[in-house]
Amino acid sequence: MKGARPVVEVVRLGVVSYQEALRLQQLYVDRHRSSPANALLLCQHLPVYTTGIRHKPYPAALLDRLRLLGADVHRTNRGGLITFHGPGQLVCYPVLNLGNFTKSVRWYVCELEKTIISVCRRFGIEASTSPHTGVWVGDQKICAIGIHCGRYITSHGLALNCNTDMSWFGHIVPCGIEGKGVTSLTVKLQRDVSVEDTIPHLLDAFRQHFNCELTEEHTAE
Amino acid sequence: MAAGVLLRSLSSNFSTVLPSLRRSAYNASFRRTLSSSGRLAAALKFTDKHEWIRVEDSGIGTVGISNFAQEALGDVVYCELPEVGKQLTQQDEFGALESVKAASELYSPLTGEVVEVNTRLADNPSLINKSCYEDGWLMKMTIASPAELDALMDEAAYKKYVRSIED
Repeated sequence: MKGARPVVEVVRLGVVSYQEALRLQQLYVDRHRSSPANALLLCQHLPVYTTGIRHKPYPAALLDRLRLLGADVHRTNRGGLITFHGPGQLVCYPVLNLGNFTKSVRWYVCELEKTIISVCRRFGIEASTSPHTGVWVGDQKICAIGIHCGRYITSHGLALNCNTDMSWFGHIVPCGIEGKGVTSLTVKLQRDVSVEDTIPHLLDAFRQHFNCELTEEHTAE
Repeated sequence: MAAGVLLRSLSSNFSTVLPSLRRSAYNASFRRTLSSSGRLAAALKFTDKHEWIRVEDSGIGTVGISNFAQEALGDVVYCELPEVGKQLTQQDEFGALESVKAASELYSPLTGEVVEVNTRLADNPSLINKSCYEDGWLMKMTIASPAELDALMDEAAYKKYVRSIED
């Protein structure tokens, strides 16, 4: 158990629909049944609003209105409230067996937050946590987090705004938190920061905070 | 959701339940005096997924999560619980708890039928953190197969199990 660092396979999915990413996450979740198979899925989504296990704040009528904006809409089984994913946002789905790390969801979410804070620091941005889960720059959320855990296997994950079109967030109360805004690496640095610019920093920080080895295979089928 | 269904079934049974409540209230306080030495008078059994089940005198099992589990989750903000009447097989997913933006699945410790869910958790999910063995109970179920209960860990075995995880 102790000694060897866990190995996590990095899988770059490119731009995929939310549906396709769910399908691929499930494949990786199922792989854990036969043997250790930790994976870190990286992607960008076409515009989509997603909600978590709490359905009451988001009746069908509200979701239909969001569809009229030209976005996809999905209810999911993750924690957290409503959020937006779209091009220019680095979405990361770690499908880990917490048995290879620490068997605590609270620890896991905390390490994800620390990972993103490290990424921001590398760009010269001072980010922090708050009583609301996620990573903040002052009063603005730069990265949303929402995960699912069953039998210690994690799915869903985090979404870091690189050069996302922020106007999509104007149609929702992001993560159900009134009066707080959203921001991105590009907005904070006043220069274009892309998902491709950000990925190497995310991988470095993830390796450091989760004390693991990262490997890379070919892109998923 | 589940709460609406539960309230309807409670109100229709109220008139038949009331006379027996008076009797069982007397018995309950008598039993509480006897067992004032601690909650362990009705022994807890544990699963390897950190759920506990306590068999009441009625033969119904009360289910919750352990202190190890509630600490590992963080502050619970929402509980997704099953409908009363739901049939569960041992290890079936019966709900989820949300904490720190994480939804964690709950697994049925035994095979049986859900007879009650803790409706207090809808407005007060933090009961799970503050009182995981008492007020933070999740659901009550029938016990279809007592042999399954025998195979679960007792408190001593569970304590050992938790120590082995923490090391």
